[in-house]
Amino acid sequence: MTASTATTKVIPENDFFIPPSCILGAINPSTEVIITRIFDLLGLRWKAAGVGPESQCTCCTGILSHGDIMSIESTLLVVARLWSVAAEMGFENISPACVTSFAIHTECFEMYEHEPELTVKVDRWLQEACGRRLVIPKHIVHASDVVYRYRETLAQNFMKHRLVDKTDGRPLRVVDHVGCHYAKVFPEKSIGGADWCDVLAGAIRSWGGENVDYPERRHCCGMGFRQCMIRPNRGYTMACVLKKLESMEPWAPEAILTNCPGCNVMLDKEQWAVKELTGKTYDIPTLSYTELAGLLLGWDPYGVVGIQAHTVPIEPLLDKIGIPYDRSKEWQPEAQQDIELAGVRA
Amino acid sequence: MSRQFPQKADTGSKASDDLLSEGHEGLRKIPDNEMIASYERVRDHQVQTGQDRTYPNIRRLHGTPFEREKDRREVRALLEKPNEMQAWYQMARTQPCTWWIKNHLVARHALKSCLACGVCTSQCPAAQYYEEYNPRAIVDIALSEDEARLVELLKSETLWYCGQCGSCKPKCSRENNLMGLISSLRFLAQLKGYHLASVRGRQQYAARHLWGGNLWNRACSLYFRNVTSAGHPDFGPRYADYHADIDRQMTRLGANPDSSGQLGGRKVPPETLAELRRCVTWGGTLVLWQRLEELALEDARAVGISIDEYHDQVRSEG
Ligand code: SF4
Ligand code: SF4
Repeated sequence: MTASTATTKVIPENDFFIPPSCILGAINPSTEVIITRIFDLLGLRWKAAGVGPESQCTCCTGILSHGDIMSIESTLLVVARLWSVAAEMGFENISPACVTSFAIHTECFEMYEHEPELTVKVDRWLQEACGRRLVIPKHIVHASDVVYRYRETLAQNFMKHRLVDKTDGRPLRVVDHVGCHYAKVFPEKSIGGADWCDVLAGAIRSWGGENVDYPERRHCCGMGFRQCMIRPNRGYTMACVLKKLESMEPWAPEAILTNCPGCNVMLDKEQWAVKELTGKTYDIPTLSYTELAGLLLGWDPYGVVGIQAHTVPIEPLLDKIGIPYDRSKEWQPEAQQDIELAGVRA
Repeated sequence: MSRQFPQKADTGSKASDDLLSEGHEGLRKIPDNEMIASYERVRDHQVQTGQDRTYPNIRRLHGTPFEREKDRREVRALLEKPNEMQAWYQMARTQPCTWWIKNHLVARHALKSCLACGVCTSQCPAAQYYEEYNPRAIVDIALSEDEARLVELLKSETLWYCGQCGSCKPKCSRENNLMGLISSLRFLAQLKGYHLASVRGRQQYAARHLWGGNLWNRACSLYFRNVTSAGHPDFGPRYADYHADIDRQMTRLGANPDSSGQLGGRKVPPETLAELRRCVTWGGTLVLWQRLEELALEDARAVGISIDEYHDQVRSEG
């Protein structure tokens, strides 16, 4: 078995420290909040940094690191500080909400494996910088790994809807787009490796859908850090999204499923740019794995899942599955008790 | 929902209001400690909203000349007595590029050998978009130990085309890490000032103040107010509606825009921010930030524009 096909990843059963994601927090906040809601539903113990009302959690520096303005030593220290906060709260498992964070945490973890003297150095620097000690975690798993582990439990015990056409029970055709930094940077740390990654495909199957292959399934979404975030470079991002859309179109996908914050934003929002540029409307609903789980769990599409933050309308997919929604609530925040009524511990 | 989101915040001080509207030239006369204290006072001004505390001035501070000038002063002060990694990066920038490849923590692990098979290039999304981009050629130059070729690469536009996706990594039979190598070379290009030779390289000054400004001041590399609909016409009209109502929508969904809390948009307490800054400082990053500042200023002077105009120019060039 080669590294790229290994599926030996251990996903711990419980106890997760969840460093939040900059991209999710800024653009798709519900995706991150739903991670915590799902973990609550499963009765898992988790913390997102902080014993009090204020967070001790910072970003992992991933965007700065891949944006080439952060030294590797600064990244090692910032991540080591997060691990120390986790250890302080009794957590040995780190479960980042973001795919790039997952790769950054894993890269730090691997560096200590390959250069043991770095452990001594970073421990010393961390003590001098903020009086903390380096505590290497037991497991680093992405939040989608945890959902993957519990995908059947969610389907059998909690989901009110299935990923099928309500009229005839036909499994909906769903393509996946696994984040590059989940499956390509450390393929042996993903479920199924870079080429046949199962982290989303497995969820699609368990939740009733049909996972559909397409030629450019593994092509990057084009987020590219400096490519999408510095405006004059964005043509690259649009071109990558177009390439994927053209490639998946013949397979008539009814939804795109993602596990990476950047991919979810690009594949959804750049469909607008593609329409403007090419005159062609794809309008393929694009959802993160937690947004899809939230919808199938019967959580409110606007008040909890936040589909109003999407560029491509999700409502046609809801109609197909038979998930009810109240269009008057699209922009109108509801009373808190309505969210609780939707079965979510708010 | 009872929570209110002030659209126009008050800094509580006429002097602070004045600082917020000043450009770099006007800010120059303000002493460092006065400027930093004023910034922190404005930033930490809070309003109780139900059980949460909201910080209504953060929106006014982010991305301003005031914030950038305050950051410059803080960075400069933190480099007065260089620590171990700061001294290392200061020394490293005077060494040949070939030395860097053998000694930089990322670069020295990134390359093993190369078969010149071109698999990296064949499936690279950047090479498919930019005709002149070829990661295999970058590996070739890095392995050549030819200083002149390396300098030429560091001054090139193509160095900045990689999307840092890592698609090449699992495909390379030599287990090379091109993503890491390229990022490491970009870091070196900036330390040496070679990035000024390319449009894409010069954008790094804007990147430093966008992501670096967010990290340094808000402990998060992206701030939800950065992703405006004006800056992202590619995101379409529904996103514009969402972003226009972002405080209410984020709160509704359980996030914490400019407020205490644990998820998106949260304001971390000053102690957390201080710890983060000390980690960044110990890791040597500020040497790069200071270099970017000095070089941008030189470049701006050469073309007769202010540093604020330069910042805005490099952000939109390309
Ligand atoms: S895939 Fe690896 S071995 Fe082949 S050209 Fe690229 S770097 Fe060299
Ligand atoms: S990491 Fe860079 S060089 Fe490698 S495939 Fe992605 S864009 Fe190409």
